[in-house]
Amino acid sequence: MKMERRRFMGLVLGATSGAAVGLSAGHLLARTFATADSPYDPPGGVEALRLSVCSLCPGGCGVQVRCIGGRPVKVGGNPRHPVSGGRLCPKGLAALQSLYHPDRIPAPMRRKGDRGSLASFERRTWEEAFAEIGGSLRSIREKGKPESVVLLRGGALGLGARVGSRFLSAFGSPNEVRLDRGDEAAALATSLTQGVKAVPVYDLSATDYVLSLGSGLLEASGSPVATARAFGEFRQVRTGRRGKFVQVESRLSMTGAAADEWIAVNPGTEGVFALGIASVLVNEDLYDRDFLASHAVGFDSVHGTDGEPAMGLRALLGREFNLERVALETGVSVNVILRVARELHAARASLVVGPRRGPLLPGSLFDHLAAQALNALIGNIDKEGGVLVAEETPIPPWAPLAAKGRGADGRRRPRLDSVGKHPLPFACSDPEALAEAMLSRKPYPVEVLLLQDADPLVFTATPSRFGQALERIPLVVAISAFPSETALASDWILPEAHFLERWDLHTTPPGISFPLASVAKPVLEQPLVDARSAVDIFLELARRVGGEVASAFPAGDAPALIRHDLDGIFAAQRGAVMGTTFDEAWVRMMEGAGWWAPGYRTAEELWQGALDSGGWWDPFYDHGEWARVLKTPSGRFDLRPGLLKELAQAPGRPGSDDRKVVPDLPLLLFEPLSIAGGFGAELPFLPALLDPGHEERWETWAEIHPETAKIHGIKDKGWVRVRSTAGSVVVRCLVTWRVVPGAVAIPVGLGKRGGGRWARYMGANPFRLLGGERDSRSGLPDFQATRVRLEAAQGPEMGPGALAAWRGAGLSSRDLQNTQVFRS
Amino acid sequence: MVNPDLGQEERLLRPIESPTRAFTIFISVLFVLSAWGFVAWMAQLRRGLAATGMNVPIYWGLYITNFVFFIGISHAGTLISAILRLAHAEWRRSITRAAEVITVLVLFFGMGSILLDLGRPDRVLNVILHGNFHSPLLWDVVSVSCYLTASTVYLFLPLIPDIAILRDRQGPHAAFYRLLALGWTGTARQQHLLEKTISMMAVLVIPVAVSVHTVVSWVFAMTVQPMWHSTIFGPYFVVGAIFSGIGAIIIGMALIRRAYHLEEYLKPIHFNNLGLLLLVMCLLWFYFTFAEFLTTYYGADPSHMTVFLSKTEGEFSHLFWTMFVACFLIPFVLLANNRTRWTVWGTVTASVSVEIGMWLERYLIVVPSLSRPRLPMEAAKYSPSWVEWSLFLAFASAFVLLYALFTRFFPIISIWEIREGRAHSAREVSARVESYLPAAEEPAQ
Amino acid sequence: MARWGMVIDLDRCTACQACVVACQVENNIPPASADAAARGRALAWIRLVPFGKEGKEAGGEPPALRLIPVPCMHCEHPPCTKVCPVQATQVGDDGLVAQVYARCIGCRYCTTACPYTVRQFNWDRPVFPEPMERGLSPDVSVRPRGVVEKCSFCHHRLQLAKDQARLEGRPLQDGDYVPACVESCPPGAMAFGDLDDPRSTVSRLAQSHRAFRLLEELGTHPKVVYLSKGEWGGES
Repeated sequence: MKMERRRFMGLVLGATSGAAVGLSAGHLLARTFATADSPYDPPGGVEALRLSVCSLCPGGCGVQVRCIGGRPVKVGGNPRHPVSGGRLCPKGLAALQSLYHPDRIPAPMRRKGDRGSLASFERRTWEEAFAEIGGSLRSIREKGKPESVVLLRGGALGLGARVGSRFLSAFGSPNEVRLDRGDEAAALATSLTQGVKAVPVYDLSATDYVLSLGSGLLEASGSPVATARAFGEFRQVRTGRRGKFVQVESRLSMTGAAADEWIAVNPGTEGVFALGIASVLVNEDLYDRDFLASHAVGFDSVHGTDGEPAMGLRALLGREFNLERVALETGVSVNVILRVARELHAARASLVVGPRRGPLLPGSLFDHLAAQALNALIGNIDKEGGVLVAEETPIPPWAPLAAKGRGADGRRRPRLDSVGKHPLPFACSDPEALAEAMLSRKPYPVEVLLLQDADPLVFTATPSRFGQALERIPLVVAISAFPSETALASDWILPEAHFLERWDLHTTPPGISFPLASVAKPVLEQPLVDARSAVDIFLELARRVGGEVASAFPAGDAPALIRHDLDGIFAAQRGAVMGTTFDEAWVRMMEGAGWWAPGYRTAEELWQGALDSGGWWDPFYDHGEWARVLKTPSGRFDLRPGLLKELAQAPGRPGSDDRKVVPDLPLLLFEPLSIAGGFGAELPFLPALLDPGHEERWETWAEIHPETAKIHGIKDKGWVRVRSTAGSVVVRCLVTWRVVPGAVAIPVGLGKRGGGRWARYMGANPFRLLGGERDSRSGLPDFQATRVRLEAAQGPEMGPGALAAWRGAGLSSRDLQNTQVFRS
Repeated sequence: MVNPDLGQEERLLRPIESPTRAFTIFISVLFVLSAWGFVAWMAQLRRGLAATGMNVPIYWGLYITNFVFFIGISHAGTLISAILRLAHAEWRRSITRAAEVITVLVLFFGMGSILLDLGRPDRVLNVILHGNFHSPLLWDVVSVSCYLTASTVYLFLPLIPDIAILRDRQGPHAAFYRLLALGWTGTARQQHLLEKTISMMAVLVIPVAVSVHTVVSWVFAMTVQPMWHSTIFGPYFVVGAIFSGIGAIIIGMALIRRAYHLEEYLKPIHFNNLGLLLLVMCLLWFYFTFAEFLTTYYGADPSHMTVFLSKTEGEFSHLFWTMFVACFLIPFVLLANNRTRWTVWGTVTASVSVEIGMWLERYLIVVPSLSRPRLPMEAAKYSPSWVEWSLFLAFASAFVLLYALFTRFFPIISIWEIREGRAHSAREVSARVESYLPAAEEPAQ
Repeated sequence: MARWGMVIDLDRCTACQACVVACQVENNIPPASADAAARGRALAWIRLVPFGKEGKEAGGEPPALRLIPVPCMHCEHPPCTKVCPVQATQVGDDGLVAQVYARCIGCRYCTTACPYTVRQFNWDRPVFPEPMERGLSPDVSVRPRGVVEKCSFCHHRLQLAKDQARLEGRPLQDGDYVPACVESCPPGAMAFGDLDDPRSTVSRLAQSHRAFRLLEELGTHPKVVYLSKGEWGGES
């Protein structure tokens, strides 16, 4: 009996535990196979396609947004837009990830604790923000020190940039400083040779042969989609014409991978290579005599009026850039140089592209001048398939500001970044010098720093100096959609509306030859968070300051301002609303024949047409308008032999020393498309695309050649500390033949301590290696001067907490939900 | 009524009627190890296959390796026992059951490994609802289920008379034995029927067993992947299966012999005979491996060669050469030598080495081909996670646990067959041997 | 019956990976985490496969790198469909290799059988942190953990195009049905259409002397055709 009971109990126990195990397993199974954690609320309602303009880079692509019941579910290219043509780059396609980003700044935030952390900020209303910032600005102006307000602008373009700039001028400060200087060196070279301060436009689609001097043309050009579309045309093999692309660089970039030939040169010798080609052209009499005779100066040596002989380009090439010397210096064989020179000449239309690597990496002035000189030698200037100068959109400037009074006085004060004092008065911005001025409080202290879409703590050549400077400024206001590193170090963060949440007007993006005006209407009626557009912020601040600042704008809100500008375009009596390729051909034909076929009769029709199609443009380009493209004092293209000679002899320029054994290696920086211009790591689709040529993703890496690796004892895939005189970063080392021996190549765009859960702590920032070296004439940071050493390292340079935070940025759904700092 | 008095064979019932304390401890340890596997399985259910070390392109890992390995081991029992029965190899009598049990039990773990490998185990019935008969995996399901059924029947039939003995001894669990004995009384008719069915099953089970491992190999060979797509995979896998199966029998016998003191029943001659079989399979294995690798090497198809080189001199070379030593050199030296083959330790060492080697062989078939896809991929590395290792360990322990429990409830050496052997075999064998020879002449007067 | 196919002109491709993101956005593919990427578990229905040539491999030519976008080839003789034990992947009426997510048991036999390694397995649960799930396309289901998925040639777009054509009372025309990757390709390197229609762009391009297919020698008859002047692709 006893036995029986024990058995019974055992049975019951067994059954119970069995049932428990079974149930819990069943529960686990059910939970395991549930699709998502949070209940998904599917969109419902009418489907519509709405138009806008992508603002994630300066490219200015017209986009088409698929909305269901008013909710955007897909961003694609606007097929009628002349820049995007219905196509889009990875960044634009991922734009909804920036709209629906979980870490967008939800409302105005005021810092109440230490810099650098979200936790030190508290939520405020817009009224509180405007009261404090507006009040402060007003009192500064009333004290007569309007110049002590600085506006630092990042990549922001469109109406927001114009309104911000206008606000600062009207307020009375000369201190508008730009952070992205990718186009500066190229524009400076055009300015020096052609007298036009403009980004050169490469007529890629119409050319047959491209010699690219280390440019990032196919990765990070000014307008990546437009360039890619032009490249597609360039490769138009069906019509029997297939252009050849030759890339000259020290690290095989994505542009180089798409090219037909990669010519590996010693680091920093692209310009020398170009002049070597030029000397072959001159020696073999393959240059464009007609163009040089009728439109250029500086080819032949002349005796100046004061008896000083001025060396011409021909003499300079013969003396300094003979074939053997160029071959030795660049490391390229004589045969290759000769072949490329002859190919360049033989092509029906050929093009030399300057060394702009990306929005943050302008290339050196010497190399750009060399590219310009070579283009002039082949007679490429303003020729179909050559180098063009963009025509500006005919938007009449807003009424001039008062020439007297507080504003005018302030504007006449010297700029803090000492732009204008350089030997060449061309550089437009110098944020590094601004940081020094803010630190030294000379010539005058800064009271307010306004940051518009700018992250100087990451993307200046001296980020740590900027960090120190920031702490000395009484009021730092960041207009930013994301908690960027600099925003987290500011006093106020004013959340900027997403481009799908605001009105905007974009003019011709860099690299496009024709004038255009893209109009964007908000796709979403209300921003998803309590954000406002930069236009609205500046207009409101202007109202708070009052007086001439408030009245500096032709209209009181964004749509009215855009309408005002479009009315100006209507008055110019040219161009048409954007249309199909058929419309384009029609307009081009008509204008070629001297007719104007706009498709609108009144300003109202233009306005409606622009809203419905994406905007206005004028596809016709008039070649050979020499008065427009050559504005030098002589009215001719200036080959600038003297400047080339001076820059060639500047200290620090790479020589021909045997780099394989020198311990200090030149640092080569490049910008992958998905994070070009310093934005992209924020959106989780993009860090996975960094470089499809190898498997390094979601982290910063350094590429070195196998020989270099052997000499320095560095292992493939190991961690390595890259050290310069200015600082050091720890990155993953990749041993590859894609970089020449004796150099280190590192991508720019990661290594932020802000930017939301994905960008934060991902990778390392090689700008920390740069230091203060300057290009001697342009004043730009000398991105090629940095020399680094390598040493093996243990692991990435992040604390355990940071590593956990970074890993948590997607490791599991639970981790993710726990890291939502800002959502209440 | 069966005679409950067993005489000499009494000791065969000792593990059932008087289990030792050591046995209980042994069982408990195995139980804990198996329970650990349950914990690992729960972790895998919670995190999905992300809990494993698998990735793109190494979509298959330890689980599929174990599947092939366990199914391979299953060839031990039923196939060997059937062949020996049909060949009237009299020395089989004390080893057939020990071998057959291995088959039946290990098949569950082979099938279980597939279940572990599924991303959606909750949908496993789709195999029946939406079965696609073009898929070698479905052939596997069919053939393994057939084999499992046939082996179970084939194990059960010769068990009946022994169950009847247990029933008649009126020990514990008599009701259980009564149920399973199916009313066996040992009449001549029953005896005749049983023997007839057993020999029929023995014939039937051989093709099924061969098909099972052939089909397992076809899971790989029917794809176009480098070093999988090979015509000799069928026989190669069958040879490998029998090879590892015999090894498993030898190890099992040695354990039983030691644990239950059955030195009288499992003599060096048994180990020697099985050792000879193992030696034959060892040479066959070498022959097949050599043929397979030589054809690949001479064909020198680049995609095959990358896999080939990854095995012979690349990432997997240490495993590959360990496998070669373990599958060929060690067993060959031990088994070709009379002095070592006639010892239990000699054959057992060879068998253990074979098991390790054969597991590695399975791993080296599954993983390297996947890690070198035809289109260049990010060179993903596969290292199994703790979940996979735990489940491997748990499966191995659970197998031994079930095996031990079997010996706790059923005689692991067939009592009636031994008795039958004592009673009739000697006569039968001498009669048979005589029948081989020319009739003896009458001695000259 | 149309034979839908894709042509990718490698001379035009700039390896910008717009196709990759367009696909992820269109098909609700969850973004990978750094961790998943490091473990080789990031999902992508189309990826860029690098073919590098250097030193001995380049045979005296200067080193070069080509990046080839690889979606599902939608083979006419797919090695994946016949091995699926549960008929979760089949060639549909329209010739596209379809995946039935609701039936897949996640055995990953098809992923191992595919010589192009284009099939993907959902190792983890898809994660769309709030409010990112608002950007999901309502046309495509989000796949649960544990099943295999792959490029569908944006099959849902074919349904929409067919519906649209039926509404307008006309047959389907070249250009009506285009997958998201082709639609967004900035240099216009991709084309899509009916390979059997002699007037379609793809059929004309597929006749080009520059045309080749990946791993043609396996007899899978891929419906993705590549164009290149050089000899890229094939065996690695």
